[in-house]
Amino acid sequence: MQAEPSQLEPSSPIPSAVEPKTLSLPPLVSSILRSLFTLLIALWMGALVMWVSGKDPLQAYQALLTTSLGSRTAVANSLLAATPILFTAMAAAVAFRAGIFNVGAEGSLYLGGFAAAWVGFTFTDLPAWLIIPLSFLAAGLVGGLWCYFPAVLRSRLQVDELVTTILLNYVAILFTEYLVNGPFLVPGVANAMSPQIAPAARLPRLLPPSQLNASFLLALAAALAMIYLMTRSKLGYEIRMVGDNPQFARWSGIQVAGVIEKVMVIGGILGGLAGAGQVMGVHYRFIAGFSSGLAFTGMTVALLVRNSPVGALLAALLFGMLRSGSATMEIMTDVPRDLIRVLEATIIFFAAIEFGSLVWRRRRER
Amino acid sequence: MSYLLMQSITKTFPGVIANDEVDLSVERGSIHALLGENGAGKSTLMRILYGMYIPDHGRILLNEQEIRIPNPRAAIRLGIGMVHQEFQLVPSLTVAENIALGYEPRRNGLVDRKTQRLQIEEILARFGFSLPLDKPIAELPVGIQQQVEIIKLLFRKAELLILDEPTSVLTPQEVESLFKVLQTLREQGKTIIYITHKLREVKILCETATILRRGKVVGRVKVADASEKELANLMVGEQVIDQVFPRSQGVGQERLTLKEVSALDDRGVPALKNVSFSLRAGEIVGIAGVQGSGQSELVEAISGLRPVKGEIWLNGRRITRASPRRRREIGLAVIPEKRKEQGLNLSTHILENVVSTRYYKPPFSGWLTLFTRPAERFAARVIAEYNVAAPGVKSMVKNLSGGNQQKVIAGREMIDQPEVLIAAYPTRGLDVGAAQFVREAMVKRRDQGGAILLISADLDELFAVSDRLLILYEGRIVAEKRPDETAFEEVGLYMTGHLHAG
Amino acid sequence: MNADTLANILFASLRVMTPLLLAALAGLISQRVNLLNIALEGLMLFGAFFAVVFGAQFGSPWTGLLFSILLTTLITLIYAVAVVELRANLIVAGLAINTLAVGLTSYLLVVMFNARGAYSPAGLVSLPKLSIPLLADAPVLGKILSGHGVLVYLSWILAGLTSLFLYRMPAGIHLRAVGERPEAAETAGINLKAVQYLALLLGGVLCALAGAQLAIGDLTIFNNNMINGRGFIALAAVFFGAGKPGLTAVGCFVFGLFEILQFRLQTSTSIPPQLPQMLPYLIVVLTLTGISLQKALRKKRISV
Repeated sequence: MQAEPSQLEPSSPIPSAVEPKTLSLPPLVSSILRSLFTLLIALWMGALVMWVSGKDPLQAYQALLTTSLGSRTAVANSLLAATPILFTAMAAAVAFRAGIFNVGAEGSLYLGGFAAAWVGFTFTDLPAWLIIPLSFLAAGLVGGLWCYFPAVLRSRLQVDELVTTILLNYVAILFTEYLVNGPFLVPGVANAMSPQIAPAARLPRLLPPSQLNASFLLALAAALAMIYLMTRSKLGYEIRMVGDNPQFARWSGIQVAGVIEKVMVIGGILGGLAGAGQVMGVHYRFIAGFSSGLAFTGMTVALLVRNSPVGALLAALLFGMLRSGSATMEIMTDVPRDLIRVLEATIIFFAAIEFGSLVWRRRRER
Repeated sequence: MSYLLMQSITKTFPGVIANDEVDLSVERGSIHALLGENGAGKSTLMRILYGMYIPDHGRILLNEQEIRIPNPRAAIRLGIGMVHQEFQLVPSLTVAENIALGYEPRRNGLVDRKTQRLQIEEILARFGFSLPLDKPIAELPVGIQQQVEIIKLLFRKAELLILDEPTSVLTPQEVESLFKVLQTLREQGKTIIYITHKLREVKILCETATILRRGKVVGRVKVADASEKELANLMVGEQVIDQVFPRSQGVGQERLTLKEVSALDDRGVPALKNVSFSLRAGEIVGIAGVQGSGQSELVEAISGLRPVKGEIWLNGRRITRASPRRRREIGLAVIPEKRKEQGLNLSTHILENVVSTRYYKPPFSGWLTLFTRPAERFAARVIAEYNVAAPGVKSMVKNLSGGNQQKVIAGREMIDQPEVLIAAYPTRGLDVGAAQFVREAMVKRRDQGGAILLISADLDELFAVSDRLLILYEGRIVAEKRPDETAFEEVGLYMTGHLHAG
Repeated sequence: MNADTLANILFASLRVMTPLLLAALAGLISQRVNLLNIALEGLMLFGAFFAVVFGAQFGSPWTGLLFSILLTTLITLIYAVAVVELRANLIVAGLAINTLAVGLTSYLLVVMFNARGAYSPAGLVSLPKLSIPLLADAPVLGKILSGHGVLVYLSWILAGLTSLFLYRMPAGIHLRAVGERPEAAETAGINLKAVQYLALLLGGVLCALAGAQLAIGDLTIFNNNMINGRGFIALAAVFFGAGKPGLTAVGCFVFGLFEILQFRLQTSTSIPPQLPQMLPYLIVVLTLTGISLQKALRKKRISV
C-alpha cells in the first residue's frame, strides 16, 4: 500500500495536482443530470424494496402519479403537502450552499408554530390584517432566534452544527409538548394541543375542499426570495464564496462567521414560517409532534439538488407530490406510504457519499 | 563501501520534479547531514527511504543489497526508522505504550505489559536513557517526547535513523541533550541521517553532508573540509542575474509600520518574534528567508488573519485589531501565498473571483443587489490590462494555466493601485514570461508610488526587484541589506543562521 | 421511602439502562476511533425489528437475537463501507441510516404483518430472566441485582470487556491510537481502515443487542417509535463519561434512574416529564460546546 501524499505531507512542496482534463458540461446541465440520476437510483431502490416484498412497483408509481396530479383536488393536496417542505428545503439549501448542514428548521418549525398559535389564541380581538402578519412575525422571530444558538456555536467554536441542530430539535419538540401539556393545557381536551386560534387568524383557503391555503403563496414567495438571494444578492455571493472556499472568502475580506450565522438564522426564520403556516392554515391550533421530520425532508431535497435554488423549488414540489400521493397509493395498491422514507434515505445516503470527499476536505481546513 | 546507497532517485509530482537523479551515500556509524532549503527535496528523498513514497526510478542499496521499500512497515523491517518533525506519538497513551505501538508483545490476546517493560528498560539501559514509562505522553515536555520517538525506533530495532529537522521545536538546552543522545547512538554503531538547514548543527554533529537544491544534488562534502560559507553557497546557489530592474527613484512617507510584532503559528509555537520595520511609498522591500522562518505568519498578521502582539500601522492608522476588510479599505492589497486555496475560488469564473474584494460597494452593488454590468466591465478590464489568456469573463478559473490564474489575482489586487501591496510568492510556479509580467507589474506600481512588500523564496528575484532586503530567520529580522551593496552569499549566511545582526 | 421502594427503583433503573449501556458502548468505541456515530438510533431500531420478526418466525427469542445480530451488522457494514471506503460524510450517512430504519421497518411491518407502527406477535416469549444463586436470597441486594434478563447481565460483562479491549488488548490500543493520532498509528504500521471497520462493526453488534433488549428483553413488541432518542442519549452518556467505559456506564445508570424517577414523579407529582427528558440532549450540546471552548481557550492562552 502506498501512502497517499496528501494525507501525510501537510506542508509539501507539491502544488495541488494539475487538474485532469475532463469533459465538462455546463454546470447547470451536469447538476440537473446528477439530481435526476440520484432520483432514479432512489426510485429504483424503492422498486427493489417493493419487488422483494411482492408488490408491483410500476403499479405503485403509477398510482402515486395519478393520485398526486390526477385531479384539481389532487394537485391542490400535493401543493398543500409541498408547502412546509418548500420552507424547510429552502432553509437547508441556503445553509448548504455555504457548506453548513442545518436541520434546526425542525425545532424552529415547532417553536415558530407555537409562537404563531400563541398570538392566534391570545390576541383574539385583532382583525385579520393585523393578527396574521403578527403571527408570522412572531413565528419568524422565534424560529430565527432558535437557530442563532447553534449558529454561534458553529461559527465561533466550530461545534458541528448538524449534531447540535439534531439534538436541539428534540429539545424544541419536548419543550412545545411541555407547553401544551402544562402552562397552555386546554382543560377537558385529552390530547396535547393548544387552544384554537381566533377565526381571524385562520389563513384563507385557495381551492376548497382542499386545505390548500394562503401559506402556500407565502412559501412560494419565500422560495422566490431565496432564489433571488442566492443568485443576485450580495449576501448570496458571500454565501457562495464561503461555501466554495472559506479560505478564499476569508482572504478576500468576507466575514465567514457572520455569513454562517446569517444562513442558519435564515433557515430558522423559514422553519418558523413553515410552522406558522401549518398552524394557521391547516390545524388552527398547535398540536404536539405535528411535524414528523419536515426539516429532514427539506434536507433531503437540498442534498438532492445540491447547489441549485431553482432545483430546490422543483424538488420540494416533487416531494410534496410524493407525500400527498403516497397516502392514496397505500389505499389503492397496498404499498405502504413509508416507502417514501426509503426513497429519502437512499437520496441522503448517496448525497453523503457524493459530498463525503468535499465536506471531509472542508472540515479538515477548520 | 557505503552502508546506504541511493542511486539516481527520481520522483515527480504533477508539475514538479521533487527529486531529480539524486544520489546519496552514507557510511555505517556516521551522522550524515542532508542540507537544503525547504522545498529542496530533502523530505521527499527521506519519505522514499521510509517507504512513504515510491520513486519513479532509481535504486536503493542497504548493506550492498538492493532493497525495495513499499511502505513504512517494510522500512521498519529493514531497520530504517524516522523521527518526523511532527512527532508521531499518541498523547493519551503512556510512554511505554507509545514505544511499543504496533509491535506489542502479546500473551493470551492481551498486551504482555511485563515483557514490554523489560524490553524497553533494556534499551534504555543500553543507551543511557531514563524515561517515565507509565506517564501519558501529553504530560511530557517536547524534548522528552523526542527521546520517546528515538527509543521507539530503537525498540523496532532500527539501525538507520532519519531525523527531520529535529531541533526546530527544541529549547537550546534540549538541543544540547539531543546532540549528546545522537553522539551516543553513533558510538553504539547506529547510522543517522540528519535533515536540516542549520549550518551550525552540521558543523557540530556531522561527518559528511549532501546538499540538495531544487531537487538536485549540488554538493557532497566532508564537513571538516568545508567552510560554512561554502555550505551556505551551495544551499542558496549562485546568483543568476537575468534582469535587474531599475531601483526606486525616491521614497515617500511611511505606509506600513510594524512595531514589535509577535505571533504564534498554528501549533502555538512562536513564529514571529518582535518584528519591527516600516515600508514607505515608492519602494519594494523584499523578505528573504528559508521557508518556514515566519513568512506565512507575517503575511497573515498584516492581512488581519492572525492575531498579534505589538502594533501594526497602515497609512497612519493603527490596524492591529482591524478586520481584513477594514484594512483593505484603508489601502491594503494582498496576493496570498497559496494561489489555489487562498487566492482563488476555483469553483467559479473570473468575474466572481475578481470582485471578491469589492463586490459590496458601488458601483458593484446597491443596498442588497449585485449589479452584473459593472462587474463584467471590471473583469474585462482585468483580463485586458493583465493579459489574462481567457475566452471571457465567465471562464472558469480552474481551467486557466497557473500563470493566468496568478494574473487574475494580481489584477484583482493591483488594478486599483493600492497604496500598500503584500505579495507572497507571487511568481512561484509560473513560467518565465508570466513571472516577468508579474515582476514588471510590481515595479510599475512602485514607480507610481506604491509600497510593496515582496515575500519570495527566490533570491534572484529578491535581488532583481527589491530596493531593500529584510532577512527573516526563525521569526526575527536578523539583517537589513541593500541588494546593490550586498553579496549574494552574505544573505545566504544570514538566512541559514550563520550570521547574526550586530 | 422504604427499602422495598428503593429496591424497586434501582431494579427498574438497571433494567432501563441496559439498552442505553449497550448503545453507549457502541458509541464509545466509535468515539475512541474519532467517528461520531449518530446511526446508533437507526441501528437499534433495526436490531429491535429483526429480533421481533425472526423471533416470531422461528418461535424462539434466541433465534431472534441471532438474526438481529447478523442482519444489523450487515446493515452496519453498508454504513461502514460508505464511511471508511467511500469517505461518505459520517453524519449525513448516519442520518440516512436513521431515516432508512424508520422507513424500512414501518414499510415491512405493514407489508408483512399488516400492522401500522406497532407489532406484538402472539406466542413469542421474551428472553429468559436469570435468578442468581445465593444473591437472589440476599435481602434488598437480591431484589436489585437478581432476576434481570440475560442481556442485562451480558451488558455488564460487555462493559468490562470493552474496558479490557480498549486498554489491554493490542487492537484496542491501536484503535485509540487511530482515533487520536491517525498518522502516528499509520507510521506504526497499523491499518487505519481495518481499525475503523472493527469499531463500527462492533458497534453494530452492540446496537443489535440494545435493540433486542428493548424488543424482546422484557416484553415482545416492536414499535417504530420505540428507540425514541435513546441513541442520542447513549451518546450523551459517552460524552458524560469522557469516553471511559466505567464512567459511561455510570452515566447510563443516571439516565436510567432519571427515566424511572420521572415515571414515578409523573404519577405522584405534577412535574411535567418533558423537562427532565430534555436534559440528555442539552447535556450533549453543552459537552460539545465545552470541548470546543476548551480548545479555543487553549489556543488563546498561548497566543496572548
